[in-house]
Amino acid sequence: MFDTTIGLEVHVQLNTESKIFCSCSTEFESPPNCNICPVCSGQPGVLPVFNKKALSLGLRAALSLNCKINESIYFERKNYFYPDLPKDYQISQYKSPLGHEGSIQINKNKKIGIERVHLEEDAGKLIHKDKYSLVDFNRTGIPLLEIVSHPELTSPDEAFDYLYSLKLILQYMGVSTCNMEKGYLRCDANISLKEKGADSFGTKVELKNMNSFKGVKAGLEYEVKRQAAQLKDKKIIVQETRLWDSDKLKTVVMRSKEEAHDYRYFPEPDLPDFIISKKMIDQEKESLGELPKAKRERFINQYQFNEKESCLLVENKQLADFFEKVLNFYKQPKKIYKLLFGPFLEQVNLLKGGFDSVKISAKDFAKVVKYFSENKINNLGVKKIISLTIDSNNDVDKVIKKEGLIQLSDEKGIEKIAEEILVNNSKAVQEYKQGKAQAIQFLVGQIMKETRGRANPQLARNILERRLKK
Amino acid sequence: MTNNLIIKPAYLIAKDIKDKKNSQGEVYSFFEKRISQHNASLNAFVDLYKNNFDNQSNSNLTGVPIAIKDNICIKGKKITCASKILKYYQAVYDATVIKKLKSSGLSLIGTTNMDEFAFGSSTENSCYGPTKNPWDKTRVVGGSSGGSAAAVSARLVPFALGSDTGGSIRQPASFCGVVGLKPTYGRVSRYGLVAFGSSLDQIGPITTNIKDCAYLLNIISGFDQNDSTSAKVADPDFTKSLGQDVASLRIGLPKEYFDQDLNSEIKETLDQAIIFFKKKNIQFKKISLPHTQYSVPTYYIIASSEASSNLQRFDGIRYGYRAKADDLWQIYQKSRSQGFGDEAKRRVFLGTYSLSSGYYDAYYLKALKVRRLIKNDFDQAFKEVDAILTPTTPTAAFKIGEKIKDPLSMYLSDIYTISSNLAGIPAVSLPCGFTKDNLPLGMQLIAKDYDEATLIKLGDAFQQDTDFHKKIPELKNV
Repeated sequence: MFDTTIGLEVHVQLNTESKIFCSCSTEFESPPNCNICPVCSGQPGVLPVFNKKALSLGLRAALSLNCKINESIYFERKNYFYPDLPKDYQISQYKSPLGHEGSIQINKNKKIGIERVHLEEDAGKLIHKDKYSLVDFNRTGIPLLEIVSHPELTSPDEAFDYLYSLKLILQYMGVSTCNMEKGYLRCDANISLKEKGADSFGTKVELKNMNSFKGVKAGLEYEVKRQAAQLKDKKIIVQETRLWDSDKLKTVVMRSKEEAHDYRYFPEPDLPDFIISKKMIDQEKESLGELPKAKRERFINQYQFNEKESCLLVENKQLADFFEKVLNFYKQPKKIYKLLFGPFLEQVNLLKGGFDSVKISAKDFAKVVKYFSENKINNLGVKKIISLTIDSNNDVDKVIKKEGLIQLSDEKGIEKIAEEILVNNSKAVQEYKQGKAQAIQFLVGQIMKETRGRANPQLARNILERRLKK
Repeated sequence: MTNNLIIKPAYLIAKDIKDKKNSQGEVYSFFEKRISQHNASLNAFVDLYKNNFDNQSNSNLTGVPIAIKDNICIKGKKITCASKILKYYQAVYDATVIKKLKSSGLSLIGTTNMDEFAFGSSTENSCYGPTKNPWDKTRVVGGSSGGSAAAVSARLVPFALGSDTGGSIRQPASFCGVVGLKPTYGRVSRYGLVAFGSSLDQIGPITTNIKDCAYLLNIISGFDQNDSTSAKVADPDFTKSLGQDVASLRIGLPKEYFDQDLNSEIKETLDQAIIFFKKKNIQFKKISLPHTQYSVPTYYIIASSEASSNLQRFDGIRYGYRAKADDLWQIYQKSRSQGFGDEAKRRVFLGTYSLSSGYYDAYYLKALKVRRLIKNDFDQAFKEVDAILTPTTPTAAFKIGEKIKDPLSMYLSDIYTISSNLAGIPAVSLPCGFTKDNLPLGMQLIAKDYDEATLIKLGDAFQQDTDFHKKIPELKNV
């Protein structure tokens, strides 16, 4: 049998408003070639100017990944010809990455080493037509952070966990949205197999084009099987770059090692060295805030969540933050949790902008949880209130009043309605008396209908049962 | 009234305009006319702008026409770097120096010939053909800013901008009998200068006299947020250095520049200059710049390496010349093969080679280390002296065609100018004599970082009492 060795190279787009070496916008969905200028379209005579926000975000990332920070960094030119690269070189870092020798805890028992974290500019986008190709330079010069792991991952599952942990940390630090579908996070892998326990690594294959978290796992799983089959047949593994085809669910050769580039790296003469002062590092460290792992542990200890609940909450920083804000107004973590993971997220998922479009205040949401816990509103009412307030500035109390959502718990009132319902639905009454227990559900439904959903359903049921037993 | 314009310094032409003795239009048409008379025989200009005057701004150079080397971007105007690969390209923005000239009210009159992408020392490597030396049209003007130097020398324009990577302002200034100053690296913004050797390039003035040089430097220098290598230093008023006493300044004479190989005519003119300065109570000291012999190889590795990368963007994809081709790699290969001249190709090969994996340490990295040693030599020297005097060039202007087939001998014509680019320090070439054949000769003064003031002070003292800079080549009307 074989041991698997995987290393991941991840690129994330930094959350900056302008590009890394010019002041063009980083807006994602602009029409082609609208966010470009002489600098990022590589006109003759232009010079790069480093966006300090990119440095600050890169530094945050490197620090939260426990990296050592180089005191002075410089950029280098990576030279190669390609139409999406307007200068035909990419300004990147080579010998002096921003951070090195870091690590990520990917689960309770395993820590993965990070070789380097460096800044670079993105290339443009090619759009291939039948007989020609077009190029969109909007993406050219978008700041990227490249994070290279040590080859310490031993399975596609671990690779998935690594990627997940990395994404969460970068999201928490505000470094990147890490949206893989939009290309804000891109992942390439190096994977090799060797005889179990062997000292030296096998021949590695580079895997690209895995455009989702699932794709990374599936692509790697495919490669493990393919390489194992090769080795079992005593065939050699070719050192090459392969692409994951998510339609055909297999990897295909992109290029072999012989075509590898000599990038002729050399220090970018248009940019000075940048000193990373202790003060800068301290400032970033102070503003880092809580990392996801610490938050998970705190949620378990402080709010008595189990591990799964804590993970679910922490998985989404916006949700976790919202949860703790609500808690300020209503100190019942489990009750808040229940509504968050029920009607609240249901509504959030319907919003076009997702969590970004949520407008209901923590204070108002705390009211909803409180009213629900006190039986003032029922399930239906909660859904209705949330749907009416989630992305508007409607006041919860006003909505409840306007929509008449206060639950009817007035026994006499419900008795009276029940009496009428029983008279008018003799068929259902008869069925119930003949032993068809579900018939009562229909009758409860009629009461809910009559009260436009406001009746306390449990109370209605109790009353009906009592009367039917008479 | 306009006849004396060819002997008048630019700052006095501006004064006449201010005093309403001349109008901007009269001045502009005077030089337009001179250009139309003489450019055909000199080939100094590659593009001319009609009636590009009438500036509202107010500076002490307002209304003076200026020529711009064809590697500095002027928005909406052709910029070719004398290369076929950029033949139909128009600049989409103004270089920082151009913005400054415009806002100071200078009249951009046209762009000047050069060696392709500034690769060369004779302006023969140009897609427009060579510029002829106004002193002898069978001879080269030097390069790469040869068009600018020739235009100023022939008084087709009062002054011009050039760029200097290894001597490209000073060497042609010397060959043409005009003043050429390379500022400290970082003094003048490079934004909008088409890059050759990014760590060496500087834009600088080419003028008939040192006073104009001071006035023009005042306008073009200064920190620029678009150029991260421009320096955040105080910008002195360089005209304050004019007319200053130079007594007790110390000038160094590096023994490596005054060896037995030095051309005797050049040595004699320099000796005269030394005698002149001594009369002004300047002290002379013998100094040593021990790593001088390594400057040419060091320079050609660094400059070519940077150039090979800088020239990659000329690929036929987005702008410039594109050859007919069937696929992407053919577009690259054919466009570049057909678009670049021989010298550009030579530098790209040289630079690509020295940056290649396996050769980087032996060439590029070693060159960077030697560069440091060369800089250290100067730092050491400037502890003892305020300026260094050397020849600008090993010979006077050579014949057109004489060196074009022998790149190494061509490279050696920059032997005295290259070191100051490697060290990043300012240097100026001043006319200081003539050969028996009536060809101008220049001397070079070098100062420490950001000390252009000393160069201007010394240059002005020299020009107060000499008239080498006032000699004008005789031009026959064509």
